Amino acid sequence: MDTHLPAYSPKAVKRAWLALAGALGLLAIGTTNGLFVAPPEHYMGDVYRILYIHVPTAWNAMLALTFAFFSALAFLWKNDWAWDARLEAFVETGVLLSLLLCVQGSIWAKPTWGVWWDWDPRLTTTAVMLVAFVGILALRHFVDDPRRRAVWSAVATIVAYASVPIVYFSVQWWNSLHQLQSSPKTVDAVMVTPLRINAFGMLLLLLAFSSLRSQLARRRLARELAPPPAAASLALGGEG
Amino acid sequence: MSGVISGGWEFVWAAYAISFTVLAAYGIRLAIAVRRAEKEGDER
Repeated sequence: MDTHLPAYSPKAVKRAWLALAGALGLLAIGTTNGLFVAPPEHYMGDVYRILYIHVPTAWNAMLALTFAFFSALAFLWKNDWAWDARLEAFVETGVLLSLLLCVQGSIWAKPTWGVWWDWDPRLTTTAVMLVAFVGILALRHFVDDPRRRAVWSAVATIVAYASVPIVYFSVQWWNSLHQLQSSPKTVDAVMVTPLRINAFGMLLLLLAFSSLRSQLARRRLARELAPPPAAASLALGGEG
Repeated sequence: MSGVISGGWEFVWAAYAISFTVLAAYGIRLAIAVRRAEKEGDER
């Protein structure tokens, strides 16, 4: 295991604040366009406008969990603590977005399907994915030893990631109440622009949150992995 | 029954309000934690 301590990066924090400012700007423009400029949908009327927050949330939730998966692989491959900090950050932001995804979907389901929740393939697999990654956050919370925590959560993330492609393809593999994936090919050109703006806004938000969260995780790791004061002074004495 | 949904703005507002409130709360929590960590770092 690599012994170098993860360093806190003020530059990364500055970049995160810039990304956050960009995210707020894009989300303000995209949401205003989605709510007030885009025309109502033929069958769903104005209710479809939930799409402009729901779809960007879905894309970025899956992206965050994909980043977490690659962080887990990178940690196991390179033994670099910075990847453990990134894994923690991406799993937490992925869980946050997945939770919002379920809430938004539930709110959209009521006026269109007549129920808040249904155990159909897309919703069920999303719930399983959410529970799996909440479990990884719980594991990280309850395991005190940083080395065990890092290895166990990296392995658990790789296993839990199997749920992400299942969620994505669930609407194609099984009969689902949920519609197929939205894309510029399936959404009218007038309605695509706010969707794209909000998708990029949400991406910047994900990067900003993950970067800040990763810096906090680095600080905690540096504290946990630092040698105890007595050992540090002995080491210094030995050098002199 | 025409199969067309009319109204429903309350659902739209609810979805956006909950989403942005949760995201703002998480962002503020992160900002406070980062500021506190930087302050502790400066004091050492």
